[in-house]
Amino acid sequence: MDLAIFVQTCLNAFYASSYLALVAVGLVLIFGVMRVVNFAHGELYMAGAYALFWVFHQNQLPFFLGVAVAVLAVGAVGLVMERTLFRPMRDNPLGGLICSIGALLILQAGAVALFGVRKKSIPGPYNESVSLFGVESLTISGQRLVVIAFAFLLLAALWLFLRKSRFGWALRAVAQDAEAAALQGISITRIRALAMALGAALAGAAGALTATIVPTGPFMGHPVIIGAFVVIIVGGVGSLEGAVVASVIYAFVNTFVTTFWDGVVADIVGLLLMLGVLVARPHGLFGRAERA
Amino acid sequence: MSFEKLNRRRFLAGSALAAGAAPVLAGVRPARAAGTVKIGFLAPLTGDVAAWGLPGLYGCQIWAEQKNAAGGVEIGGESYNVEIVSYDNEYLPDKARTGAQKLINEDGVSFIEMLGGDTMPAVTPIANRAEMLVSTLLPSDLSPDTPFLVAPAEVHPIYNLTGVWWLAENMPEAKTAVICAQDDALGRPSVATYLAAFEAHGIEVKDVIFFDIATTDFAPVMTSMLASSPDILCLDTAYAEFVNELCKQAYVQGYGGQIISCTADFYADIIANTSQEFMEGVIFQFPDFDDPALNDPRINFADPNGFFQTYNQRYPGQWGAVSWEYAAILDLWLDGAQKAGSIEPAAVLAGMKEGGVGAHAFGDARWWGKELFGIDNALVGNWPVVQIQNGKAVIVEFKNIPEWWSMYSDVMIEKFEEMGEMWYQRA
Repeated sequence: MDLAIFVQTCLNAFYASSYLALVAVGLVLIFGVMRVVNFAHGELYMAGAYALFWVFHQNQLPFFLGVAVAVLAVGAVGLVMERTLFRPMRDNPLGGLICSIGALLILQAGAVALFGVRKKSIPGPYNESVSLFGVESLTISGQRLVVIAFAFLLLAALWLFLRKSRFGWALRAVAQDAEAAALQGISITRIRALAMALGAALAGAAGALTATIVPTGPFMGHPVIIGAFVVIIVGGVGSLEGAVVASVIYAFVNTFVTTFWDGVVADIVGLLLMLGVLVARPHGLFGRAERA
Repeated sequence: MSFEKLNRRRFLAGSALAAGAAPVLAGVRPARAAGTVKIGFLAPLTGDVAAWGLPGLYGCQIWAEQKNAAGGVEIGGESYNVEIVSYDNEYLPDKARTGAQKLINEDGVSFIEMLGGDTMPAVTPIANRAEMLVSTLLPSDLSPDTPFLVAPAEVHPIYNLTGVWWLAENMPEAKTAVICAQDDALGRPSVATYLAAFEAHGIEVKDVIFFDIATTDFAPVMTSMLASSPDILCLDTAYAEFVNELCKQAYVQGYGGQIISCTADFYADIIANTSQEFMEGVIFQFPDFDDPALNDPRINFADPNGFFQTYNQRYPGQWGAVSWEYAAILDLWLDGAQKAGSIEPAAVLAGMKEGGVGAHAFGDARWWGKELFGIDNALVGNWPVVQIQNGKAVIVEFKNIPEWWSMYSDVMIEKFEEMGEMWYQRA
C-alpha cells in the first residue's frame, strides 16, 4: 500500500468522522433526554446546509456568518419541533417517532418549495487544496480542514458544557433518570427543549459546514441519517462518547473499504459492522441501559 | 417565475397555463385544430435524477407551444393541438407504474416519453398490454420483450465510444484509464461500453470503481481512482451532481490529466467549483445547441440555435444533456404519425421505422440494435464529441457509431456479456 494514499485515506476518514460525529451526537442527545428516535434529524442537517446556501451563496455574506445562522436557525427549528410535536407526545414514544417522520416529510417538501429540486453545488471559500507534511500528492481541501477543526471545537465545547455547567449537569441528570431529576427541582420541560435545540443545532452545524463539500439537496439527509443510526447502534444508544468513537470507526471502515475495494461493498461492510456489534455487545461498544 | 422559487404544483399549473395561453399570446388561432393529441411525459421531475427529466419537459413544452402556435400538427389530413401531460416518477419504479396507468387509462395519451433505466421494467408490462408506444433515452432498456419501446434520440451508452475514439486519435499519449460509476442501470452498461472502447483503442483500464447512488462524499472514490495514476479519468454516466463532485475532488486532489464523461451538465457550475484551466479539454457527449456545427445541413433538428436561445430565455441556467432530446423524439414521433396518417401508437411505430431509417437529430440514421438489445428499436447514426474549450462546450467532431460497430462489435458484445448487460442476461 502506497503510504501517501494510506495517509490521504486517513484524512478523508477524519473528515467523514467529524461531520458524522456532530450529527450522531445530536441524535444521541435528543434520544437520551427525550426518548424520541428523531427520524427528521437528517433533515435538520439538510436545513443547516440550505441556511448556509441562503446566507453565504445567495446573499454573499461571510461563510462563518452562514454557519452561525444555520446553528441558530436549525436550533430554533428543533425548539419548534419539541414544542409542537414531541411535547404533546411526551408519554407516547411511538407517537414521537411518527411525528418525527411527519417532520421529515414537511422539511423535505419545504426545501423543495423554497429552493427547487436541483441539487446545489456551492463553491466554498476554502476549496483550494492544501498539501500536508510537504508531500505534494498528499492534499486535502481547506474546506475539509475547516469541518474537522469545527467539529472538534463544537464537540469539545459540548463536552465542557455537559461536564462543567449547571445546565449540562441537569441535562445529564434528566437523561439518567428524569423522575429523580424532577424531584431535585430540575425542570424536565426546559431541559427537554434544551436537548432538542442543542441536538438540532449540532445537525445544523454539520449541514452548514459540509454544504460546500457535498451536493446540497432536499433529500441529502437520507444517507447521513442512515450512517448516524449505524453509529449510535455501534457506539451504544444513549452514549455520547460511544457516538464519537463509533463515528471514527464507521468512517474509517467505510472510507478504507471504498478506497481500496468498492463503495457499494463499503455500505455492506458498514452494516455488517453494526450487526457484528449487536451480536457481540447488544448495548453497543459504550452502551448501558440508561446513559447519555 | 424563477426555478428557485418553483415547486412542482406551481410548475405544473404554470406550465399548463402557459401551454394553453401560448397560441393566444402569439396571436394565432388554434381553433382550426380538429382535436388534441396528448403526449405523456413520464420521467423524474424531482429527486436525484431530476436533471435528466425536468429540463427535457421544458424542451417538450417549447416544442408543443411552437407547434400549437403554428396551428397544430397535420396528421392524416387532420390538424391537432399537442398537449404534454407530465407525471413525476421520481425515478421510482412504483411511481412509474402508477404514472403509466394514469397516462394511458385516464389521460388517454397517444405516446409516452420516458427516461427509462430503473423505472422501465415496471412500465413495460403495462405498455405491452395497452400496445402503447413508449420511448426511452436508454436503449439498454430494449429487449425482444419490449416491442413498443423505442430509443430514437440517444443510443446510451453506446455513443460514449465516440469520445474514447476521438481521444485515441487525438491524444495517443494517453494509455491508461480508470473508470468510476454508480452501481445502477445507467452506470453498469455504460461501464461495459467504456471498457470495450478503451480496449478497442489500446487504452489499458487499470481499475473500475463502483459507488452507491447514495454516496455524498466522493473523496475516497477519487483517492481510489488516482491511486493508479491514470492518464484518463473516466466518469462514466455519473449523475450530474456526481460529475460535479468527482471533478471537485479530482481538482482538490491535484489531478492534472484528461477527464472523459458521458455528461457534463451545468458545466459552468463545475468550472466555478474548480477552475477554467482544470476543466479545459474535458471530453463529453452533449453539446450546447448554440454550437455552429449544428447548423450543418445534415442536422435534422429544426433551428437548434433558435431552440437553445428560446430555452435559455425561458429557463435560464437549466440547459442540460436532455433539454433537446425529448423534443427531438417528438419530431420523430410526428414524422412517424405523418407517415402513418394516424396517431394510433402501433401505426406511428410502423411509420417511424418505415424503410429502416429515421431522421435523427444529428443526421439520418438507421434502426439498429438486434445484436446488442435483441431488437432493432434504437436509432443510431452520428454522435458529437464535445470538448470544453475556454470554458465553453464545443463540438470537435461527429463520429459515426455504425462505422465503429463494424470494426469492434465483438469487443462490445464481449464486454456487455462480462458485465451481464446483454438483453438475454438482463431478462
